[in-house]
Amino acid sequence: MFEMDGEMDKKKKKKMKKKEKLEGMKKEMDILHFSPQKIFTYLTCFSVLHPQGLTSTFAQQILERDGPNELKPPKGTPEYVKFARQLAGGLQCLMWVAAVICFIAFGIELARGNLTSFDDLYLAITLIAVVVVTGCFGYYQEFKSTNIIASFKNLVPQQALVIRDGKKNQINANQLVVGDLVEIKGGDRVPADIRIITGQGCKVDNSSLTGESEPQTRSPECTHENPLETRNIAFFSTTCLEGVATGVIINTGDRTIIGRIASLASGVGNEKTPIAIEIEHFVDIIAGLAIFFGFTFFVVAMFIGYAFLEAMIFFMAIVVAYVPEGLLATVTVCLSLTAKRLARKNCVVKNLEAVETLGSTSVICSDKTGTLTQNRMTVAHLWFDNQIHAADTTEDQSGQSFDQSSETWRSLARVASLCNRAIFKPDQEGIPIPKRAVVGDASETALLKFTELTVGNIMDYRNRFKKVVEVPFNSTNKFQLSIHELEDPLDLRYLLVMKGAPERILERCSTILIKGQELPLDEQWKEAFQTAYMDLGGLGERVLGFCHLYLNEKEFPRGYRFDPDEMNFTTSGLCFAGLISMIDPPRATVPDAVMKCRTAGIRVVMVTGDHPITAKAIAANVGIISEGSETVEDIAQRKRIPVEQVNKSDARACVISGGQLKEMSSDELDEALRNHPEMVFARTSPQQKLIIVESCQRLGSIVAVTGDGVNDSPALKKADIGVAMGIAGSDAAKNAADMILLDDNFASIVTGVEQGRLIFDNLKKSIAYTLTKNIPELTPYLIYITVSVPLPLGCITILFIELATDIFPSVSLAYEKAESDIMHLKPRNPRRDRLVNEALAVYSYFQIGETVCTHILSVIPLCNKGWFPLLCVGLRSQWEDVHLQDLKDSYGQEWTFAQRLYQEYTCYTVFFVSIEICQISDVLIRKTRRLSVFQQGFFRSLCLGNLLCYCPGMPNIFNFMPIRVQWWFVPLPYGILIFVYDEIRKLGVRRYPGSKPRFIILHSNHLSSIHESPSTSIQYTHSVFINLLSCLLMLTLH
Amino acid sequence: MATLKEKRTCGQRCEDFGRFVWNSDNGTFMGRTPEKWVYISLYYVAFYVVMTALFSLAIYVLMYTLNPYAPDYQDRLKSPGVMVWPDTYGEEVIEITYNTSNKASWMKMSNILHKFLGPYNDTKQSECNYYNCTKGKYFIQKTFSAPHHTKWACPFKQSMLGPCSGLEDPTFGYNCTMPCVVIKMNRIIDFLPSNSTNLPPYVNCTILEGHDNVAKIEYFPDNGIMDLSYFPYYGILAQPTYVNPLVAVRFSLVGERQAKIQCRVVSKKISYENFHDPYEGKVIFYLKALK
Repeated sequence: MFEMDGEMDKKKKKKMKKKEKLEGMKKEMDILHFSPQKIFTYLTCFSVLHPQGLTSTFAQQILERDGPNELKPPKGTPEYVKFARQLAGGLQCLMWVAAVICFIAFGIELARGNLTSFDDLYLAITLIAVVVVTGCFGYYQEFKSTNIIASFKNLVPQQALVIRDGKKNQINANQLVVGDLVEIKGGDRVPADIRIITGQGCKVDNSSLTGESEPQTRSPECTHENPLETRNIAFFSTTCLEGVATGVIINTGDRTIIGRIASLASGVGNEKTPIAIEIEHFVDIIAGLAIFFGFTFFVVAMFIGYAFLEAMIFFMAIVVAYVPEGLLATVTVCLSLTAKRLARKNCVVKNLEAVETLGSTSVICSDKTGTLTQNRMTVAHLWFDNQIHAADTTEDQSGQSFDQSSETWRSLARVASLCNRAIFKPDQEGIPIPKRAVVGDASETALLKFTELTVGNIMDYRNRFKKVVEVPFNSTNKFQLSIHELEDPLDLRYLLVMKGAPERILERCSTILIKGQELPLDEQWKEAFQTAYMDLGGLGERVLGFCHLYLNEKEFPRGYRFDPDEMNFTTSGLCFAGLISMIDPPRATVPDAVMKCRTAGIRVVMVTGDHPITAKAIAANVGIISEGSETVEDIAQRKRIPVEQVNKSDARACVISGGQLKEMSSDELDEALRNHPEMVFARTSPQQKLIIVESCQRLGSIVAVTGDGVNDSPALKKADIGVAMGIAGSDAAKNAADMILLDDNFASIVTGVEQGRLIFDNLKKSIAYTLTKNIPELTPYLIYITVSVPLPLGCITILFIELATDIFPSVSLAYEKAESDIMHLKPRNPRRDRLVNEALAVYSYFQIGETVCTHILSVIPLCNKGWFPLLCVGLRSQWEDVHLQDLKDSYGQEWTFAQRLYQEYTCYTVFFVSIEICQISDVLIRKTRRLSVFQQGFFRSLCLGNLLCYCPGMPNIFNFMPIRVQWWFVPLPYGILIFVYDEIRKLGVRRYPGSKPRFIILHSNHLSSIHESPSTSIQYTHSVFINLLSCLLMLTLH
Repeated sequence: MATLKEKRTCGQRCEDFGRFVWNSDNGTFMGRTPEKWVYISLYYVAFYVVMTALFSLAIYVLMYTLNPYAPDYQDRLKSPGVMVWPDTYGEEVIEITYNTSNKASWMKMSNILHKFLGPYNDTKQSECNYYNCTKGKYFIQKTFSAPHHTKWACPFKQSMLGPCSGLEDPTFGYNCTMPCVVIKMNRIIDFLPSNSTNLPPYVNCTILEGHDNVAKIEYFPDNGIMDLSYFPYYGILAQPTYVNPLVAVRFSLVGERQAKIQCRVVSKKISYENFHDPYEGKVIFYLKALK
């Protein structure tokens, strides 16, 4: 007990230290290195002293002290924090600040006692409402995807067979405590970290923990210092594949290896998503411009002679006017539309912003087992008749099969079918063979499925060859044999079939089957065998040899008592049938997806816990190491020179194992990553995965990590975007990931990349579009301040443009299809290719064309109704005087205040309409013209605009006046001109696709200019030109 | 990424900014060489000159195409507004409050009226509006028969307000409890108050609150009529000397000497029930005489 308390304390201390200094932990998880000595201490403490297991009462005490044996779910963020996070993004903060400013401005007005309008208050409330509503929307989206993910969790409580009070009990696994004696058998999940005491043929599948795809033997001997390597510890949540074992529990719950890795993941901070960084950058620009402008006009206002407080209010109003109110909603809607689209393709995104991250990704660190591969041993190659045949390894058996006509194949298939203990679990007739559940170890399973596919109905086949005796595989013999009666009842010979390690099998053979003929096994054949064996081994495959022998009828007549222990029968001079090699094959879609990633300029790096040879083979198979690429070792071998003499930069590919990685400094790792474009990391620990991800990030890449195992979870968390597998993935991996592939299809990542890039492009369009109207909206106020004209555009009207009519077109930009070359471009450079750069912001803000257009338009109704521009200058104080009921206009007519007010509203509405029409032509040309005009969203905005203008009661609620029909058509020439101009440009581009003449590309208003960042002057020239024409046209219409 | 998020120290930021302001390596000042700055400034100057010219041109063309005599549209001026003088406001509404015993107080009122009636001075009117109008019917002029290519406007003389003209009683009754107020209806081009020619618009005042406090209401000119010859109005260019017809109303305050009064210009085409414009066709004011 004391011993143990000490242990716990030490660990606790270490845990504390860990939290304090994550760095140290990353080096190598030293807490994993509890030596076998300590484990024996546990043994003496518990199992040896209490061979009957713990007493129930004592177990209860320990349970109370240690808590239940289950992984504490990572401290879930409380719902209100999640919601608060939705309200605290970059744009949201901007809007909060704006709202506060509005309140202050309102407060100042209130204090000064002139409460003519509540616009400031309305604006503040609207800003807050927008933030809250979009927050709710975003929260709801994330809530939904969390639910999808949660539905994947395994909710069935696990059972464990425990020995307590000398009796075997089946209890819930979460009741287990340290010191309990448990029994595990094939098919069970290991209920805690246990030290094996007794075991028979026990094998566990560690793939979710270490990434090893091969079953690992578990037996009582301690074979290694490292607990992860030693054979006598079985880990929590791994699966026992076959055999039985008893063990004593040494760790439960979060103190298990898996618990520690999971908590390691929760210690890794979450990085900001690239889109969040971009939006913050954008907010910086906006805020900078806003304050600059606001301050300029503050000075101007003071200079003109306004009072300080008044100038202050102007300053605030300008700053607030800079806030693009509609953008937040647009961005949220665009992101969630993409998230929805991704969900339809089985990618569930936990955090809306992660939608874009894959698009900026430049490095994908992919786990091998279960992500790139099927995590299922499958027969890949056969060698018989002195020839290597490839088997079909696709998941749905759609691939090519080999030639099965040879006699040798029939013998080999018979050996493979008979010398196999694996059986299908019952009642699986409907399930395709590769997906059926099997009892047996991985390679036997592979062989069973393979023979079932090629020979057919193995169970029946085995029944026909009745099994007489069997010697199971053991590590000293390294073979397995069985003796069967023959199918033909007249043939009374016995058939001995044997499989095992190829070299051991070969030792026992004297003949070899070639094309059905038994030939003596001479040196030439042995050479051929060696070559084939080396070839297959070099592919990273596990090779088994098969042989058989018809036992002499006289020596072994029917009824002969075969003794498996004594082996009282011939076991040499056999006939060699062939080799069968197995591998965990890549998923069918992976090579294509890797190829697509490469064309998209994304580097795919394999990071696996599996062995280097297997890793390299799979990497070559899926294209991570491309054809013709060599590692340093390959070059050395080819040139027959020592490894040290090879010029490292010659080698495109590089395989680094965990052991080597441990020796490397972070600089060396960076260097390696820089030098070799094709990298494979093998035998890596969870910490090393983390180090690799960090190294990639140091090199300026945006890193995506794909994985399914617990061992991947820290890296998943550290990555800019973690992608976990939905079916095969462990809960820890899913918790740490930002995105989950529900169908485990690596190819979905390509979709994610495409959608991510698309959303980035489309957001760019949306933002450019949204900003275009910012200056036309702001200048009326500036003129109002400086020249004291009646306000041509009201605050509420602006809100309606931003939040109602313009939302539809700008969201419709999110539906834009991708450019055809989107997947052939390099990923964007996060330092250079910003979402919004200064050029775009400046360009959008100085949308002279639209500004001039809208202003002229706003002048027209005033003029038409009797207020000439010169009269208006300086008219503000009289115009806004509530007590002045007979203000004379330019024609000498007299207006009451209310009449003037409605006239002002008419101006607002005309301004509104002209912005709307200009924006429609804007959205039309910003689009690729694949969508019908009805899908552009402006029909809705037009309908809404009409509703606002002509619905009774609007003048008094929202300051919209029913305006004359012709006002709607006045901005048309401008719109039509832009449109025609853009058509000419497009025609030019089509005619001369290569040349892209500057004049044609750089048109006044539009997106291509933003992509190609041309000299702004030329754009301006065009906008001047367009405006000149459009103004004249406009006037003729008036 | 990592490099992007690197926290730079303030010194580094300042240094970067300094380099941005003046980069000695390639001789750029704020990102451009001085030569480039000249070009770009010239360009912008030219650009804005052109833009301004363009804007002015557009406005000029617009103004050029406008009818100088009458506006194209009058949809916001369907019915004329009505106002009362003295136009002294309280918090929200018109409150004509004066103190009979405080000379400054009632002088303020009478001064407002004197000032208001300035243009209606008899001599002034007979100088500029000497055309002898036919009373009782619309003065419709198709041609510009007046001098300087204008139209005739009918005179409205101060004296037509009789006892409230300020000529006999310069205090307009504000030194006692019989104050005069003047009602004016706004002018609207081509506006005719009614279709029939024999029903001129007239002012009718009603007491809304304090019925007992008003003994008598008198209108000047008689019956509070605005003669039809003042309509229609042809605009400032055609009738530069036009003056609105006025109606003076005299109230005899008794008792508490305060009342809420609505004065309405009654005519067929003058609406007065617009909820959103309280001054359309009528005016409501508080009248209060203190001691």
